[in-house]
Amino acid sequence: MKSAFRNAHSLFRSLNPNPNPHLASLLLPRRLTLLTPPSPPSLRPQTFPSLSATLSSASMPGGEPLTPPPLEKQFEDFRAQLEESGTLRERIRAVVMEIESTTRLMHSGLLLVHQSRSTPEVLEKPKGQIGVLKELYNRLAEVVRESPGQYYRYHGDWRTETQTVVSLLAFMHWLETGTLLLHTEAEEKLGLNDSEFCLDVEDYLVGICFMSNELPRYVVNQVTAGDYDCPRKVLKFLTDLHAAFRMLNLRNDFLRKKFDGMKYDLRRVEEVYYDVKIRGLTANGAPVEDQGPQGPP
Amino acid sequence: MATTMSTESSSMKDAFSKHADYLNNLNDKRERVVKASRDITINSKKVIFQVHRISKHNKEEVLQKAEKDLVAVTDRYISRLVRELQGTDFWKLRRAYSPGVQEYVEAATFCKFCRTGTLLSLDEINATLLPLSDPSLEPLQINVLDYLLGLADLTGELMRLAIGRISDGEREFADKICKFVREIYRELTHVVPLVDDSSDMKLKMDTMLQSVMKIENACFGDHVRRSEYMPLPGSDDQTSFLLAVPDVEI
Repeated sequence: MKSAFRNAHSLFRSLNPNPNPHLASLLLPRRLTLLTPPSPPSLRPQTFPSLSATLSSASMPGGEPLTPPPLEKQFEDFRAQLEESGTLRERIRAVVMEIESTTRLMHSGLLLVHQSRSTPEVLEKPKGQIGVLKELYNRLAEVVRESPGQYYRYHGDWRTETQTVVSLLAFMHWLETGTLLLHTEAEEKLGLNDSEFCLDVEDYLVGICFMSNELPRYVVNQVTAGDYDCPRKVLKFLTDLHAAFRMLNLRNDFLRKKFDGMKYDLRRVEEVYYDVKIRGLTANGAPVEDQGPQGPP
Repeated sequence: MATTMSTESSSMKDAFSKHADYLNNLNDKRERVVKASRDITINSKKVIFQVHRISKHNKEEVLQKAEKDLVAVTDRYISRLVRELQGTDFWKLRRAYSPGVQEYVEAATFCKFCRTGTLLSLDEINATLLPLSDPSLEPLQINVLDYLLGLADLTGELMRLAIGRISDGEREFADKICKFVREIYRELTHVVPLVDDSSDMKLKMDTMLQSVMKIENACFGDHVRRSEYMPLPGSDDQTSFLLAVPDVEI
C-alpha cells in the first residue's frame, strides 16, 4: 500500500520534473471550476418544465411548451393496459395448465395401447377426459373473449398444449374408426365449432403430425402381440395422410419440420409391413389381406 | 371395405385441399404484408435521414421536407398495410408487419420531437391512420407494443441528433434531447416488465441506456470543456469561466 503510494508519487514527480508552486496554484482554481460549475448551468437540471418551456421557445420555431403530464399520462395508460393484459394472460395460463395436466392423464392412459390391451378398454378412460377438455376449452374461450380480436395475441400460450390435444384426439379417433379426425370434427369434440375461439388450422395440422409419430411404435407392438394385419392398415392410412399433407404449400416453419418428420414414420411402418409380409405372417391366413396397402394397381 | 377406404381417403383429400387453400391465402397475405412492412421501413428510414440533415439555419425547410415525406409514407405504404389487415390479422400477422410499424413510429415521433420537443403519442399516430381505412371495417391501430419498441429505437436516433447538435454548437437543443431521452428511458423502465414478450424489449433497453449515457457524456464533455474556451469574439456566450476565474476564492 505504502510502496504503491510512493510509486504513484514518484511517477507524479517524473511526469512533473519541476513542480512549480505557482503553476499549481494557477491550475487549482481552474480545476475547481471544473468540479463545481458556476451557477447558471447548475440551475438547469432541477427546473424541468419551466426550463424546457423557455428552451423550446428559444430553440424551436413555433414550439409549444413541453408539458410532462401527457407523456406521463400516456405511459400510465400503457402500464394499466399492459397490466390488464398481463392478468388476462395469467388467467389463460391457469386454464392451459389444467388442459396440460388433463392431456398428460389422457396420454398415460393411451400408452396402454402398446401393452396389448384391447382398444375399447384402453380408450375408456381417455374418452372420459374429452368432456373435461371440452369444459376447459370453454373456459379458455370465455377468458379470451374478454379481449375481442386478440386471439392471436395470446395464441402462443395454448398453442403447444392444443397441438398435443389434437394429436391425442386424432389418435383415439383413429384407434376407434381407422379414419382421420378432421379439423371440423376436432373442433366439434372440443366444443369450438361455433365460437369465436377456433382451432387454428396450423395447430390442427401439427397435432396430426404428432399423431403420426405415435404410429410406428403402435405398429411394432401390435405385430409383437400378434396382430399381423395392423401394419397394412396403418401403412394405408399413413400413405394417404402423407399424400394429403403433400397438397399443402408449407413455409419453412415448425409445421414443415414436423411434416418432414412424417416420412420417417412412414418408412418405419413400411419396414414393419415388409418384415411381416416377407415372412408370410398373415392374420388367420386370410388371403384377402394380401392386396397390399395401395390396393390393386 | 375397399369403397369405405376410398371414400375415407377422398374426404381426407377434400379436407386437406381446403387447408391448402387456407394456407396459400394466409402465406400470400403474409408475404404481401412483409413486403409492405419492408417498404415502410425503407421509406421511414429516409425520413429519419432527412431529419438528421437539420442544422442551425435550415431547421424549417428540413423539417418541412421530412414531414412531407412522412405523409407520403403514410399515404402510400401504411395504407397498403391497412388494406391487407383485418380483424384478427392485427395480432396474427404482427410479426410480419411489426418491424415496419416500429420504424414508422420512430420516424413519426422523431419528426414531432424536432418540431415541438414533445412526444407524439400513440393515440395521435393512430388518429392519423384512421382516414386510411374503410369506415365499415375495424381500422388498423398500431398496438402498444410496437409503439414502445419504436420509441426504444427513437432514442438511438436522438442520440445521433444530440451528438450532431453539440458539434454544431446547439447546446440547448442537445440538453433538451438529453432530458427528453432520459424521461423516455425512465418511463419505459416501468413498462418493460409488463410487455408481452419482453426479451426483445429488454435488449432494446440496454441499447437505450447506452444511448442515454452517450448523450449525457457528450453533454458533460461539452459542459466541462466549455469552460476552457474563450468566447468567440462577437458571440453572445452567456458565461465565460476563464474570465470568472479571478473571482473564485480559493
